[in-house]
Amino acid sequence: MSPQRNTPSHGDSGLQPERTDLAWGRTTLSLVVAAATFLRWMPHHGWFVGTLVAAATLTAVAIEVNRKHRLHRSIQGINQETMYPDIASTAAVSAAVVTLAALGTYVVLFLPIHG
Amino acid sequence: MEEDLAASHSRVRSGISVRLLGGGTEPDPRFTLANERTFLAWIRTSLALLAGGVAVEAFMADFFGPELRKTIAVLLLVLSLSIGGGSFVRWLNVERSMRRKTPLPLPLIAPILAVAAVFVATVMVVFVIVRPS
Repeated sequence: MSPQRNTPSHGDSGLQPERTDLAWGRTTLSLVVAAATFLRWMPHHGWFVGTLVAAATLTAVAIEVNRKHRLHRSIQGINQETMYPDIASTAAVSAAVVTLAALGTYVVLFLPIHG
Repeated sequence: MEEDLAASHSRVRSGISVRLLGGGTEPDPRFTLANERTFLAWIRTSLALLAGGVAVEAFMADFFGPELRKTIAVLLLVLSLSIGGGSFVRWLNVERSMRRKTPLPLPLIAPILAVAAVFVATVMVVFVIVRPS
């Protein structure tokens, strides 16, 4: 995400808000790559894999939608020298990855390859 | 701005997050952000293992037999699951320890990743050596 005109400024020389924002961006990209590799399964394992593609894509979209809010929140945190940890985001992303891996394991073990 | 922050604080501080984080005081926000980035780095490691497991199952049909392919794919996916879940536990433990100003806990997921990666690599090497050419 490029800096917006209405993005507040901060005095952190360590550029923590920007680095954290980019870390979320890289995570989005990783989710898109995971969704793309799941696509490769669809011809072999059937329609069920479509739910995995959708789940990975939706998680990526959810992160992207909240990114500006998260950046502003961290800038605000730096400026006010206090910030409550974003427990909902970390728990949600972790749960999404665990779900994807569990469903992926289910596909490999129980959905036969056809075609 | 301050009202917004206060409102969001009271919202996220209610209920389960308070119990998960325990007591203590807010650490330096830079440390909170650093912990978040470390969590995300673990999540991306987990996603790379996930994509690796999917790729082994999808692309290695000509190279591996079905049983070995399935075994390696499942190993990578279960490792991805462990690292994906463990990264949140790690994040939470670090956050709790920072709030209480106690020494940071050692990451359990680091040795799990190392041992499992060595194991998967060994399986591959043994397969390459013994497979009939």
